[in-house]
Amino acid sequence: MKTISLSTEQAPPISVPLRFFAAAPLFLLLAALMLVYGAVNPFADIHSPALLAATHCITLGFMAMIMLGAMQQILPVVIGSPMPASRLTAWLTFLPLIFGALLLPAGFMLGKPVLLNLAWPLLGLAFITFISASLISLARSPAHNATKTTILLSIIALGGAIALGMLLAHGYASGLQLPYAKLATAHISLALGGWVLLLIVGVSYQVVPMFQLTPNYPKWLARSLTPALFIVLMLSLLSLLLEPRPYWIVIVAQSLFWFMAGCFAVATLRLQSKRRRRVADATLSFFRLGMLALLCTALLALATLFFPAVDRLGTLSAVLFLLGFAMSLMHGMLYKIVPFLVWFHLFRGGVKRGIPNMKEIIPEAWMWRHLWLHRSTLLAALFAPWWNAAAWLVALGLLLQGMLLGYALLIAIAVYRRTLERIEEDLP
Amino acid sequence: MQTIAEFMSADHHACDEVFAIAEQAALANNWSDAETAFNKFRAALARHFRMEEDELFPTLVSAGGPAGPVLVMRMEHAQMNTLIEQMAGTLAHQDAQGYGGLSETLLIVMQQHNLKEEQMLYPIADHFLASQREALLDRMRVD
Repeated sequence: MKTISLSTEQAPPISVPLRFFAAAPLFLLLAALMLVYGAVNPFADIHSPALLAATHCITLGFMAMIMLGAMQQILPVVIGSPMPASRLTAWLTFLPLIFGALLLPAGFMLGKPVLLNLAWPLLGLAFITFISASLISLARSPAHNATKTTILLSIIALGGAIALGMLLAHGYASGLQLPYAKLATAHISLALGGWVLLLIVGVSYQVVPMFQLTPNYPKWLARSLTPALFIVLMLSLLSLLLEPRPYWIVIVAQSLFWFMAGCFAVATLRLQSKRRRRVADATLSFFRLGMLALLCTALLALATLFFPAVDRLGTLSAVLFLLGFAMSLMHGMLYKIVPFLVWFHLFRGGVKRGIPNMKEIIPEAWMWRHLWLHRSTLLAALFAPWWNAAAWLVALGLLLQGMLLGYALLIAIAVYRRTLERIEEDLP
Repeated sequence: MQTIAEFMSADHHACDEVFAIAEQAALANNWSDAETAFNKFRAALARHFRMEEDELFPTLVSAGGPAGPVLVMRMEHAQMNTLIEQMAGTLAHQDAQGYGGLSETLLIVMQQHNLKEEQMLYPIADHFLASQREALLDRMRVD
């Protein structure tokens, strides 16, 4: 057992995660603008440049920004091992990610190869830095738990997703002859089914019992679910190499994958219904909404297997996964992590009086408003592939959510700065 | 045979139970129930800290266990004690909003502290103290 490297006082400086979180809402505004400036209804065609651009604003600029920032904070707690060189890692991740996440969607939207060729090396740098730092952190971790295995699997999937994404962007920009449809399928599967789903499952193992005092996930489930999801994902990707790809393999792999993902959603909802902490909590509501959306995504994904001709069912399941599942969880997590970080870093200074508690850092009323806004956006998204007005409402919803989340985070940063100044004034 | 990890984790859960009852009662402005549950919680947590600070931690460190993480755990106990004192103040003033904010804060501090202990420190203790585990558990049960 490696005990020498175990240290639990390993939180990075508050500026490390906060800079990622503060940048993320900006990309919701950009995603909204891309949707508005696109075709009449970008959701009607899954290949439309506007939908592609808006999707990458959300996956890279919003989701990856939050996930990469949060991981630097979460790793020390859940696996007992911080990222190496936290400030350097943070800058080498943050700067290329923010520029890459601006350039890539701009390249899709404007159809400019030069922007894509600038974007993919930057994104490559950001993710290679992050992946390397995470792997070092995992290798040094003394923990032996399901979360550690799951984080490793999700990082491997991320590596594959990024490599394929870089190849795709380079290929589009340079007009290379590539099997685009297959590469895109593998890229999306690894990014969403691998990295995003696995990471959320792994983190849920820890935070669902922790925030609401629910029972733990059953041990057999925590141990076997993510390796099983990963294996099915890999088999499904391997079948892409077969020409022609046997449809029965697609059906079996997809059914298994989404059945397991659906089981995870049901297991989480059941645990939450047994929670010992019964007070109203916005994070819990965001989490439950996310799990409900994952369940619907799974059902829709299964439906697409039987109605492959209905393209828009596939679009809808992707939209539900991204906006309904992943985004709900990220909002929920931010509303817990950010107030806690502000409190923690103020309190650590040794001053005990006059430190605002978590509910005085981001007022709860804003969280509940955000929940309603997010629910309305999702409701509109359900109709967006068929109804143009709903697509506009989704764009409006994302715009307002970006503004609201940005405002809530700025309030938290302002509280932090103000309190810090006051503490410094009070010191002799 | 019970491990240190199992015994101490079960005690964490017992503390969580009364914590949740106190919080719910305070937010419902049910102050007599809140006070009863809060006092139980405060006593249970104080006992848990004593078991660790008086028995487990010194035994672990003198058996060659890691001193750094133990120091961090002690610091986090002090953080939690400060929050608990502040909660007692809001309870006395029947300030539900203040209590809710502090208990939300304490919950996260306490849970991430427990996570680090349950997943890292206790397994390390079980490893280092395998030969004296029974005696140690007996001493802690008496506390």
